[in-house]
Amino acid sequence: MLPTWRSELDRLLAAVRANKQLPGILLIAPAALTMAALLGYPVLFNLWLGFFKKDILLPEWTWVGLDNYVFYMFDQQFWSSFALATLYMLLTMSTQLVLGVGVALLLNEGFRGQLLVRGVALFPYMIPVTLSVILWRWLFNNQYGVVNWALLEWGLIKEPVIWLGPDYIFWSLIVVSIWTYFPFVLISVLARLQTIPPELYEAAKVDGAGPWSRFAHITVPQLRTVLFIIILLRGVWMFTKFDIVWLWGSQSWGAAGEELRILPVYTYHRIFNMFQAGSGAALANIMFMILLIAAFLYFKVYRREETL
Amino acid sequence: MVYLCAALVAFICTAPFLWMASTAFKPPREVLTWPPIILPKNPTLNNFVVLFRDSLFTTFLQNSLVTAFGSTAISITIAVLGAYSLTRYTYRGRNQMATFVLLGYMFPPIVLIIPFFVWFYNMGLTDNYLGLVLAYVAVGLPFAVWLLWAFFQSIPLELEEAAWIDGATRARAIWHVIVPLAIPGVIATSIFTFIVAWNDYLFSLVLMSTDPHKTLTVGLADLLERPTLDWGVIMAAGVLITIPALIFFVITQNYLIKGWGAGAVKG
Repeated sequence: MLPTWRSELDRLLAAVRANKQLPGILLIAPAALTMAALLGYPVLFNLWLGFFKKDILLPEWTWVGLDNYVFYMFDQQFWSSFALATLYMLLTMSTQLVLGVGVALLLNEGFRGQLLVRGVALFPYMIPVTLSVILWRWLFNNQYGVVNWALLEWGLIKEPVIWLGPDYIFWSLIVVSIWTYFPFVLISVLARLQTIPPELYEAAKVDGAGPWSRFAHITVPQLRTVLFIIILLRGVWMFTKFDIVWLWGSQSWGAAGEELRILPVYTYHRIFNMFQAGSGAALANIMFMILLIAAFLYFKVYRREETL
Repeated sequence: MVYLCAALVAFICTAPFLWMASTAFKPPREVLTWPPIILPKNPTLNNFVVLFRDSLFTTFLQNSLVTAFGSTAISITIAVLGAYSLTRYTYRGRNQMATFVLLGYMFPPIVLIIPFFVWFYNMGLTDNYLGLVLAYVAVGLPFAVWLLWAFFQSIPLELEEAAWIDGATRARAIWHVIVPLAIPGVIATSIFTFIVAWNDYLFSLVLMSTDPHKTLTVGLADLLERPTLDWGVIMAAGVLITIPALIFFVITQNYLIKGWGAGAVKG
């Protein structure tokens, strides 16, 4: 009995040693399994839960088929939160891009103190979102805020603006979001700009190209790929942004009110204020689908432009 | 012109912090004034005293440190093995794995809160370090693999092969040739993974519901919800969080920028 067992084992070990793929698979296995358990499985769980009616805390699951999805098709709040999320994404992203690229081009000019400015610009992005919300809630304070004081001093406004009131809270949120996230664009673009070989510009200069033409024909094409990635990442992250929006509206009326109820906030509201886990899961799935479709279209358009 | 714009950018990025610092050292009667007092006339440390007396600041800090360090250690260990495998071996499914990692990197956390809350609630892992650490690994791991992968790709395979030819075993080649070259990348990745967990608000909000278990981000946000809003104390808390971060950034700025080139950003 024992000898056959031994030879079986030897044969197995030899096969393992001969297998060129095995070590790689063994090394990737922990990462693959962890991600499957913590990302893949939750997605499947959400898909399944979306067909049920379930209280977030109670164990009963009641099959309702597609009812959750049908509900959102006719839910006015869903459509308004979808529209608001899209608006929030487009506004913050376009401003971040313009500001980020603009400042990056400027810093790339090279001057003393460039490193310092770059380091300082990192700051808003690297601090916790809670902290940037706290800083700006104080700056935008309705009664004692410095922003209102400065605007009054310079004569830009005649009376204090209620930045955190229902009329302006969305716009003050836009300002805070841009402040927090534009360094991402700035540093990413700057990192790319600094890898463009200076010879390209020298050669263009020799050929008599002006600054504008150099920008259009050298800088822009060189930035294409990095801009593609930035727009993709920022688009996904701004569309699904929860923390900064939720915190900005976190007075008793703010978070529950309509002014800042973008899609992720509405999802949270369904789950933890109305205790509807099934319905919330359906909403998360819808959001996920929107992202997948948008990303797919985006890749397609980009590919087509590449071939032109 | 360039200098003017650069100064403006620097001002916009730092002014909110300077105002925070100024407010933190003001006595209460100088905080709520109109017009605002730019620099405190009678600087005081009272806000810091009140912060430690009336809030669980040290508890929050401890919770943040434990969960951020714990999740970073787990994520980096698994990610180093995975990234080495992705750059040095060929096998079936490797390209699919790469796509999976990229998707994980872009994954919106809001999608994860329902499954995590439902599971952890049923398993008794809410208000528990382990639950929050698992949530941070879910977010941090694909990010760490993504980054380390970029770093490891920049280490030429030929170096390793040269060591084998010289008669070194694979393990020795890794230890003497690859590890010294990989260390900076691993450090940068660890910093970024740590920051992702440290800055998180959503998972902490959902998974930690009682005060003694909250992390700094949620504990700090709760100060805004108090019936008597004390801006001096809130800003004192802000200063205490910012100063270590500032020192940390100055020390690690080179790593940070290098990491940025490799795509080390999230959120």
